[in-house]
Amino acid sequence: CADFLNETPKGVLSSDQVNDPERLLTAAYSALGNDHYDVPLSLWPYGTVRSDDAYKGGSGPQDIQVFHFFEVSNNIMPNFGEVDRLWFQCYIAISRANNAIRAIQEAENLDNKEEKLGEARFLRGHFYFLLKILFKYVPYVDENTSVDEYETISNRALTNDGLWQKIADDFQYAVDHLPDVQAEAGRASKPAAAAYLAKTYLYKAYRQDDPEKHAVTGIDQADLQKVLDNTEIVLSSGYTLEPDFAFNFLPGSYENGPEALFSVQYSKDDGTRFGRLNFSDLLSVPMGLGCCDFNKPSQSLVNAFRTTGNGLPLENYNTLDQYSTQEQYDPRLFHTVAIPGLPYKYNSDRIYEESWNRNPADYYFYASLKENVDPDCDCFVPMVPFYANSKNRILIRFADVLLMRAEALIELHRSSEALPLINQVRTRARNSTAFVDYATDRMNIDIYRDGINCTWDESFARQALRWERRLELAMENGRFFDLVRWGIAEQVMNQYYNVERMRRPYYSSAQFNANQHEYLPIPEAQIRLSKFMYEQNPGY
Amino acid sequence: QEITIRGNIVSATDSEPVIGANVLIKGKNVGTVTDIDGNFSLEAGRTDVLVISYIGFEILEIPIDGQTVLNITMTEDMQLLDEVVAVGYITQRKADLTGAVSVVSVEDILSVAENNPMKALQGRVPGMTISADGNPSGAATVRVRGISSLNSDQNPLYIIDGVPTQGGMHELNSNDIESIQVLRDASSASIYGSRAANGVIIITTKKGQAGRIQLTFDAFLTSTYFNNRMEVLNAREYGQALWQASVNGGGNPNSNNIGYSFDWGYDTNGHPQLNNIYLAKYVDNDRTMLASDTDWFNEISKTGLIQSYNMSLSSATEKSSSFLSLGYFYNDGTLKHTDFNRISARINTDYKLFDGRLVIGENFTLNRTSEVQAPGDVLDLSLKALPMIPVHTIDGEGWGGPSRGMNDRHNPMRLLYDNRNNAYAYWRLFGNTYADLEIIRDLHFRSSYGIDYGNFYKRHMVHSYRSGFMNSDNTAVNMEQGHWMRWTWSNTATYQKTIDRHRFDVLAGVEMNRQGDINFNAYTSGEGAFAIETPEYMWPGVSTGTASVGGGSTGFSLLSYFGKANYSYNDRYLASFTIRQDGSSRFGRNNRFATFPAVTAGWRISEENFMENTKDYISDLKLRFGWGQTGNQGIDNLATYALFVPEYGIGDPTWDIIDGTAYDLAGSGSGNLPSGYRKIQTENDDLKWETTEQTNIGLDFLLFNQSLYGSIDWYIKATKDMLINPAYIGIVGEGGYRWSNGASMENRGFDFSAGYKNSTSFGLEYDITGIVSAYRNKVTYLPESVENSYGGRPGDNILGRPLGSFYGYVADGIFQNQEEVDAHVNQTGKGIGRIRYKNVNDEDNEINDLDRTWIGSPHPDFSYSLNIALQYKGFDLTAYFQGVQGIDVHNWLKAQTDFWSVDDVNSNKGRRLLDAWTPQNTGSTIPALQTINTNDEGRFSTYFIEDGSYMKLRNLSLGYTLPADIVSKMKMNRLRFYVSGQNLFTVKSKDFTGVDPENAGWGYPIPTTWTVGLNVIF
Repeated sequence: CADFLNETPKGVLSSDQVNDPERLLTAAYSALGNDHYDVPLSLWPYGTVRSDDAYKGGSGPQDIQVFHFFEVSNNIMPNFGEVDRLWFQCYIAISRANNAIRAIQEAENLDNKEEKLGEARFLRGHFYFLLKILFKYVPYVDENTSVDEYETISNRALTNDGLWQKIADDFQYAVDHLPDVQAEAGRASKPAAAAYLAKTYLYKAYRQDDPEKHAVTGIDQADLQKVLDNTEIVLSSGYTLEPDFAFNFLPGSYENGPEALFSVQYSKDDGTRFGRLNFSDLLSVPMGLGCCDFNKPSQSLVNAFRTTGNGLPLENYNTLDQYSTQEQYDPRLFHTVAIPGLPYKYNSDRIYEESWNRNPADYYFYASLKENVDPDCDCFVPMVPFYANSKNRILIRFADVLLMRAEALIELHRSSEALPLINQVRTRARNSTAFVDYATDRMNIDIYRDGINCTWDESFARQALRWERRLELAMENGRFFDLVRWGIAEQVMNQYYNVERMRRPYYSSAQFNANQHEYLPIPEAQIRLSKFMYEQNPGY
Repeated sequence: QEITIRGNIVSATDSEPVIGANVLIKGKNVGTVTDIDGNFSLEAGRTDVLVISYIGFEILEIPIDGQTVLNITMTEDMQLLDEVVAVGYITQRKADLTGAVSVVSVEDILSVAENNPMKALQGRVPGMTISADGNPSGAATVRVRGISSLNSDQNPLYIIDGVPTQGGMHELNSNDIESIQVLRDASSASIYGSRAANGVIIITTKKGQAGRIQLTFDAFLTSTYFNNRMEVLNAREYGQALWQASVNGGGNPNSNNIGYSFDWGYDTNGHPQLNNIYLAKYVDNDRTMLASDTDWFNEISKTGLIQSYNMSLSSATEKSSSFLSLGYFYNDGTLKHTDFNRISARINTDYKLFDGRLVIGENFTLNRTSEVQAPGDVLDLSLKALPMIPVHTIDGEGWGGPSRGMNDRHNPMRLLYDNRNNAYAYWRLFGNTYADLEIIRDLHFRSSYGIDYGNFYKRHMVHSYRSGFMNSDNTAVNMEQGHWMRWTWSNTATYQKTIDRHRFDVLAGVEMNRQGDINFNAYTSGEGAFAIETPEYMWPGVSTGTASVGGGSTGFSLLSYFGKANYSYNDRYLASFTIRQDGSSRFGRNNRFATFPAVTAGWRISEENFMENTKDYISDLKLRFGWGQTGNQGIDNLATYALFVPEYGIGDPTWDIIDGTAYDLAGSGSGNLPSGYRKIQTENDDLKWETTEQTNIGLDFLLFNQSLYGSIDWYIKATKDMLINPAYIGIVGEGGYRWSNGASMENRGFDFSAGYKNSTSFGLEYDITGIVSAYRNKVTYLPESVENSYGGRPGDNILGRPLGSFYGYVADGIFQNQEEVDAHVNQTGKGIGRIRYKNVNDEDNEINDLDRTWIGSPHPDFSYSLNIALQYKGFDLTAYFQGVQGIDVHNWLKAQTDFWSVDDVNSNKGRRLLDAWTPQNTGSTIPALQTINTNDEGRFSTYFIEDGSYMKLRNLSLGYTLPADIVSKMKMNRLRFYVSGQNLFTVKSKDFTGVDPENAGWGYPIPTTWTVGLNVIF
C-alpha cells in the first residue's frame, strides 16, 4: 500500500535530470532576453533617460512615473518596484550562470570544459557588471557559495574595487579560455570577453575609494594598462568597424556584423508566442507607428551633433531650441534621431511626422532610431498594444572598444596615440551618408587634425574623447554611466537641467545631488529580506 | 381477512387535521394518504400494523387489533434531540453529540434564491463566514472559525454522501440536499484527519420517501441589479480634476494632449479659478470619435434575470427507494454578454436484500455548467476608461478607444462583446455507489466507492479590432480541455451494542483517495489567421497562423486508517474517541504519515435525577468537552520537490516577464531554438502537515417547553507548522521558492446561538434566532527562517499579533500650511496639501522604512446575525440580518478614488477627487491633486485602512401557502408562492469610503435581487 503514496512528478524535472551543462548554459544565455519594458536589461531609463541624452516620453510625466523621477533626479525612493525587479532579474541570470558553471565543473565527459566555463563566466560577469554600474554595492555569490550562506552575504562584503575585481576575474577567465571565433554567432568569443574586460578595467580604473562618496579619488594606471592589453586583443582579432554606421542598427543580414562583438540575439517565428523579441525597448516606437513614444532624444543631444564650419563639435552647443535646417550636423544625428519631415528609419516612404508624437508639449518631436526598425520590416512584430522587433541589440561594439582604448591612453598621458583611434571613428561617421543622403546638405564633419583645426593636448583630447563617446554611442544606454565613471555626473546633469528647464517646464524641480544620484538605492524589499544586513547607498 | 379501516389524524399541537400523511401497512406495499380533513380509509388485516408518517411529525406504529375506526394524534417532531445526524462515516443521535456540530435547516436554504447552497448559509451557522462577490455562477468562499492557515488551502472539506470534495458547490443543485451538518471543532472533524483543519461540511442528499410517489416542483425568477457602484468622474469632472492637478503642480493645464482646453485665471486672492472647460469635438485626428460623456459602468451593466426550475420525484417501498431530480438554472448576469447556466440531474436509489441485511445503493448527480465569464479586467476598466471616449465611432459600428495622448486601456464594452462566445462547459459527475452488509445483528460492513469527475472544455476566440490606437489584426483561438478524476474508496465496519444502560458504537475503517488531473490546450494565432471571424469558423484546424500546444498532468494520493468509539451511559454520560492516520503523497518522504486523535466527553445534566424538578422548564441541558487534532495538506502536489522545467516561451510576454530558457544561440533569427531549463522550486524533504489542535467546551440548552433553544461554544484553535511559500531574498536567484512549515497561531473564540420559538393566542407563530461569533487571533510562534514573511521587521514582527495584520505608515492628516510643512521632519515630497506621515521611529529626523508600524487587523471583533421568521395562517415572512463589527479592511481602491497620480495615472478616477484639498477647501481629508506623486502617497498607510463594519438585510421574503382544501382540489398537496429580496440595504461605517465593505476590492459587485417563486408538491 505504501507504493500508493509514491507520486511521480509529471511534466517537470528533478535536479539530477537537468545536469546537462549545455542546456543550463543555454538557459543562462537566454536570460539576456528575459526582461520587460519596465525592467529593461537594455537599461534605457537608467543609462539614457537619466542622462542628458533623452526625455522619458510616453503620455506624460505620470506615465511610468518611476522613470520620470529618474529623468529629473528627484524623489527617487528605495521602494520602487521597477528597481527591485531589475535587481532580481539580474540575480536570476546570475543563478543560471552559477548553475551552468557547477554542472560544467561536475561533468565528466565534456571536452571543451574550460571554454564552456568561459562562456558561463562571461555571462555572469555581464550581469554583475549591470548590477555594479546600477547599484555600486551588491552582494556577490559565485558557484562556490553554498545556498545556506546566501543570507549572510552583505552587499558591502566587497569593496567597490573588490567587486570590480570579481567581475574582471570572470572576464579574464573568459579571455583566457574562449576561442577567437565562435561557430555560433550568439556565443561569447575571446574578443568579446577582452572588450568587456577592458570595459571593466576602464570603470575600475576610476577609483571611488571613499565608501560614503561617489567622487572619483584617482585613476589607477595599472588598470588602464589592462585596458590597453585587452583592447589590443580586440584590435588584432579581425573585428573592425562597419563601413557604414547604419549597419549597426539594421536588421536581418546586418546583424552580427564585423563590429558587433557581442549582441543579444533576438528571434521571431521561433515557436514562442510572439518571438524572442527585444522587450526592453519596445516602448520607443512612435505613436504613429505603434506605441508608446518613450525614450525621446533631448534637444541637448540634437544640439550636441552640431558642428562648426570646420566640422568639429561646438564648445557652446546647447543654444538652439529646435533642429534647424540652417545648421550643420554630424551625420550620425540622422542615424540616431528621427526628425519631423525626414524619412523614418531610412524609408523615404515613411516621412516622420509631428503628429506621430504623443505629448509634444512635454517631450517635443524627436524619436529614437537606433533601437527601432522600419515598420515595413517583417521583424516589426505587433503585440497589442505594443510593437516589438527582433533586431539584435549590440551590447559591445568595435567603435566602443576604440574609444575605450583612446580613453585609457589619454588618462595614461599618451593622448597623441589616442588621436588616430578617435579619428578612425569619425572617419567612419563621415563616410556614413549613403542611407541619409537626403540630409547631406546639412552635414559637416571632419577628423581632428592637430595644429590644423585643433590643438591636441591632453585636456583637449579628454574633451574630444568624451564628446565622441556621446555622439557615437548616443541612445545606446551608456551615457549616464560614462558621466559617473568620469566623476562629472553632478556637473553635467545640473548644467543640463538648468538649460533644459527653460524648454521643458517639467524639469523645474530637477536637481542632481552628488554622492546620491550617481547610483540607485538598494531596493527596500531586498534590505528587508536581508534582515537589514544590506547597507543602503548614501543619500537614500 | 381484510377489513376496512377508517381513521382520522390530527396534530397534537393544534388539533388540526394532518393532511397528506402517509398511512402504510407494515410489511405490505399498501398504503394511502389522508385527505384535507385528515381522514383516510384502507383495507387491512386485523392483526396488521399501520405505519403513519408525515414530514415534521414523529412516525407512529399503530396495531389495528381489530379496530375499524382509529382516531390518531400525531406529535410534531419537536424532539430535535432524536434527530439523527451524520458525523462522519456513521450517524449519531443529536442528543449524543459531544462535538460542536451545527445542523442546518434545509428549508432555510431553499427560502433564499441562491445558486450556491453555501451562500444561502451566510450567517446561519455560528462561526462560519461566507463571502462572495456578485459573480453569476455564485462561487463563494467559506471559512469556519476564522482562518486557520495563511498560505495553504483554507477551504473546508465537503463530504457529500461520503465523498470528499473541496469546493465548486455552485456546480451542484442545492435542491437535492436533504441535510447539512457543519463540524466546527476538531473533535468532530478529526475523523477526516489531514483535510479537516478548515472544518468539515457533511451534506446528505435526498432519498426516496416512504409512501406514495411524490412529485415536487420549484421555480423562481429573480431580477438582479446593482444598487451601489463606484462613482467616477464624467467628462466635465475629469477635465476639472485634470485642471486642478495641473495648476496645483504649477503646470499649464492647456498643454494636456487629450483634447481639453481650459478658460482659467486667478481670482482676486490669487487663487486659480476655472471658468470654463472645452473639449475638442473629436477625440482623434481622424475625426471618427465624437468626444462623449460615457458612463462606462452603465454601458457594461444591465439588469440580470435568473430563472430556476427544479423537479423531483421520490418514492420508496420496503425493498427499495428512489429519488430523481432535474434542475435548470440560468443567470444572464448583471454584466452584458456574461451568463451562467446549469443543468443538473440526480438519481439516488437503494435496494434492500435479504430482509434488509444487505443494502446496495448509489447517489449520483450529473451537472453541466456553462458560463461566459467577464474578461478579468472589465470592471476595473469600466472605472478607468476615460469618459470622453465614445463606446462607438460615429458610424455606430466601430469601437471607441484611446487616442494618442491617452493611455493604452481597452474599451471594456468591446472586451465584453468580443468575449461573448467564449463560454466554458464543465461537466461534473459526482457520487458514489455503496453496499452495506449487516453480517451479524448490528455489525455492519460498508464499502463505498465515490467519484468526482470533472471535464472542462473551453474555446476562447480573440477577434481583430480597431479601437482608437488599440488595434490588432491578430486573430487567435485557444482550445483547452481538462479532466479531473478523483476517487475515494472507503471500507468501514461499525458495530452497535446496547447492554442495559451502556450504549456503544464502534467504527473502524480504511480509505484510499486518489486524484489525477490531465489538461491540454491548443493555441493558434496570427494576423488574419481566420479569414472569417465567426464562432462557426474559428476552429484551430483552419487557422493559417502559428500554433502552440500545452498540456500536463498532476495528482496526489491519500491513504488513511481510522477508528472511532462512542459510548454513552444511561443517556447521561457520553464519551467518544477518534483516531485517524493519514499518509499523503504531497509530503516529504521524512514526514509522510501523521496521526490525528480526538477525545470528547458529554454530560446530559438534564437527565440527572436531581434535575427532575426542573424538567418543566429545562428540557435538555448538555455540557460538552472536546479536544482533537486535524491537519491541512492544502499545498501543491509537488511541494516537496526541487523542480526544473524548460520554459520555451509560449507564455504571453506583453504585461510581464517570461523567464524563458530558449535562445537563438546560432544567431539565425528564427526557427526552432535550443532551450535549457530553469529552476522553479527548491526541495524540502522535511515538509510536513500543518496541524491544528482544538479544544472546545460547549453547552446546549433547550428550555421552557422547547421554546428557547441554543448553544454556546468556547474554543481554542491552535495551528502550528503553518505551510508557507515565502518571498525570498533576490540573491538566491531563480527557483528560490520553497514550501516550508512556518509560524504557529491561535484563535480563541466563542460561538453563541439562541432562538426563541412560540406562537401567540391568535395564531402567529414566530421563531427568532440570533447568532454571535467572535474570535481573537494571534501568532504564537515564528521560526527564524520566515520571521519577515508575515510583515514587520526584526524586533517588530508579527509574533503576538493577529495573522495578516497590516504593516505600514501612519497617515497623520494633511499639511495645511508652510509652517506645518517646515515643522515636520524630513519627508521626501512633503508640501502643502500633502499627506503627513507620522515619524513613528523618533530616533531619526526623517520618514523612512523604520516608520512603518502595525496599523490594523483584518479580523472582526465579532460577527452576528438575526433571523426572524413569522407565520400566520398561510403567510410566512422571513427577515434575515447579518453583520460584522470591528474589522479593518484594506481599501486599495482609494488609490483610484482619492489620487490623481498614485496608480494608473491618466485613467478615470473616483468622484471623491472633486472634494480634494485646496487652499479653499482645507477641511478635506483627501490630499490635493498632483500630477506627479512626489510624496509617494500610494505607500501602504492608514490612509488605505478603513473600518469595514457593516450590517446587511440579506434576505426578506414573504410567502403564502394556499389552504389545503383549495390545493387538494387542484390535485396538489402543497402550493406556496413567495417573493423575496436580497441585499436590500447595507448599514456601513462612516469611515468606509468604498462601495461595499464586504467586498472592498473592485470585483463583481454584489447585486440586489428580487425573486418570485413557487413550490408545488403533488
